[in-house]
Amino acid sequence: MKIRSDIVAVYREVHSWAGILAGLFLFVAFYAGAVSMFEQPLQNWLTPPTGLPAPVPLDRTPELMEKTFAAFPEARAHYTVVLAPDRMRPGRLMWPKGPGGHGHGPAVIMAAALAPDGTAVTVTQAPSEAVHFIDELHQKIGLPLPHEVAMPIMGVVALVYAVALVSGVIAFLPALTRTLFAVRLEGGRSRAWLDLHNLFGFFSLPFHVVMAVTSVVFAFHEQIFAVQGHLFHQDRVAHVRIAAMPQAAPLAPRAVVDALARQAPGFVPDTLEYAMRPMGPGGGKLTLRVAGHDVRFGLRGSVSGFATLDPYTGRVISADYLPGRQSTGFAIVTAFFALHFGSYGGAPVRWGYLVLGFGGAFLFYTGNRLWIMARRRSERRRGMATDSRGTWILSRLTLGCTTGCMIGVAVVLVVAAMSSGPVPYAVVSASYYGVFVASVAASFCLAPRMGAPVLLLVAAASNLVLALVAMGRGARGLDISFGIAVTALLVAAGLMVPGWRSLTQMAAGTGER
Amino acid sequence: MTRARLDNRQWVAKLSAGIVPGCALALAVMAVVGALCHTTGSPMTLSAQFLMWLAGLVWVVVLSVCFLFRSGARAWAVLGAGSVALWLLFVILKIVAS
Repeated sequence: MKIRSDIVAVYREVHSWAGILAGLFLFVAFYAGAVSMFEQPLQNWLTPPTGLPAPVPLDRTPELMEKTFAAFPEARAHYTVVLAPDRMRPGRLMWPKGPGGHGHGPAVIMAAALAPDGTAVTVTQAPSEAVHFIDELHQKIGLPLPHEVAMPIMGVVALVYAVALVSGVIAFLPALTRTLFAVRLEGGRSRAWLDLHNLFGFFSLPFHVVMAVTSVVFAFHEQIFAVQGHLFHQDRVAHVRIAAMPQAAPLAPRAVVDALARQAPGFVPDTLEYAMRPMGPGGGKLTLRVAGHDVRFGLRGSVSGFATLDPYTGRVISADYLPGRQSTGFAIVTAFFALHFGSYGGAPVRWGYLVLGFGGAFLFYTGNRLWIMARRRSERRRGMATDSRGTWILSRLTLGCTTGCMIGVAVVLVVAAMSSGPVPYAVVSASYYGVFVASVAASFCLAPRMGAPVLLLVAAASNLVLALVAMGRGARGLDISFGIAVTALLVAAGLMVPGWRSLTQMAAGTGER
Repeated sequence: MTRARLDNRQWVAKLSAGIVPGCALALAVMAVVGALCHTTGSPMTLSAQFLMWLAGLVWVVVLSVCFLFRSGARAWAVLGAGSVALWLLFVILKIVAS
């Protein structure tokens, strides 16, 4: 592969600046994103049991609905029948408490069950906000800003990230054949970091390309659709699909499930969400949206594909997002979403994405390290005995932000796992940002050689605590605790190694500053 | 003829060209393709979703290649002229269609 040397030089420079601008944001996005691959199981894990009677069999759902709606008529407007109740969704029937419940994030829900004597029992459940907070941290690249403000910033970072990928490939291509598998751990520290960076970057390139392009679209889709709305004839929309005229009553959930099984075999429905359209044109009608999964296909959502059904006949009205039943075009669009969310292929892919996410975070860390080392080299050549202000700030920020993010995520999970009830958003947010800011402050305030060992070992310790807490919960028989404990232990071990090394270097007085 | 060596001295002008007329160009590509395939622009439809991805992708590509222009002025001229031409084409297509 022959590329003109001046072009390579241009893109090498573009790559280092783009990388340094986006690197730390991307570190947080990838680390939190890796954890959020298991958002649903973690949410389940952190939700305390409600004490609601065991869910009624699906066939008795109509009876449950009738009795519940008699007591809570407002629930008719928007309710969900849960096909496989769990801790997060403890009742066969549930509905959002108060207005909303249709936006992002977990809502306060009411769940209903039947007591042994046949009376309806309900419980109010506030969600644990910890895992959703980590997902938000991922989406907002670690910025404590409102969604509307953070999204465009995320979009800009994603654009910079895309440019960094393209320029990195161009800068790396000429050397590709020579150095791809050569991780020269012997020939000087910066060379080893460079080889690791190239190796990680090259082998996760498709993953990163998908992430960059999808993130740009996730950030700017509203604006782009707004432009489309101005450009094209929106009034010609012929897509309002209206369900058949209401007959007596909607089908029973069992009949809906059976009808769906006939039309989309292999699709496993998880929830049936009923909503009454508000009054107005086409209003006052009941709509039914089924969320479910199918490991054979990619899913549009992070855990679900969707189908719109006629609640009175069970006929599929829209299969645009129904895995396996989509048109080719929609399947292609869905593939992009599924590739971002890792919502295809089931658990193995999710574990793979966890590894790729942590690996991506490590890639950005190595990039920053390379940048700092290159600047130090040139500063020493110019005869400077100590780091310039820019190099010093960046090296401290790199240490503080990366360890701060890792400690913060571990602390959030520990706090949520130790508390007896659901943890409110403010508590989660305060503990994460408190830890994050403290870590950044520590990286600036500690003596140069002390920062790295202290923060790395604290990060390892926080993950060790998380592993212990998880094992403690595992003793009470919660099945994913073991997986969490092992993952946290591996992360702790991964941090312990460089932490220990920098500690011994500090003792010997040779440490990296 | 040997071409001048490329460098990053005018990166501000080149990058801003990638951002401003680059964005206009990406949206113009979306507009022209959308007009040609008679999209309604409703986010529910497949065509609108494809066009949205197209715009994002074109912008990413433009931002990635804007450093290859010989000068910042040239970047602004090429990307600006390209987007003006495509927007004109879109207007013509709209007039023809109506």
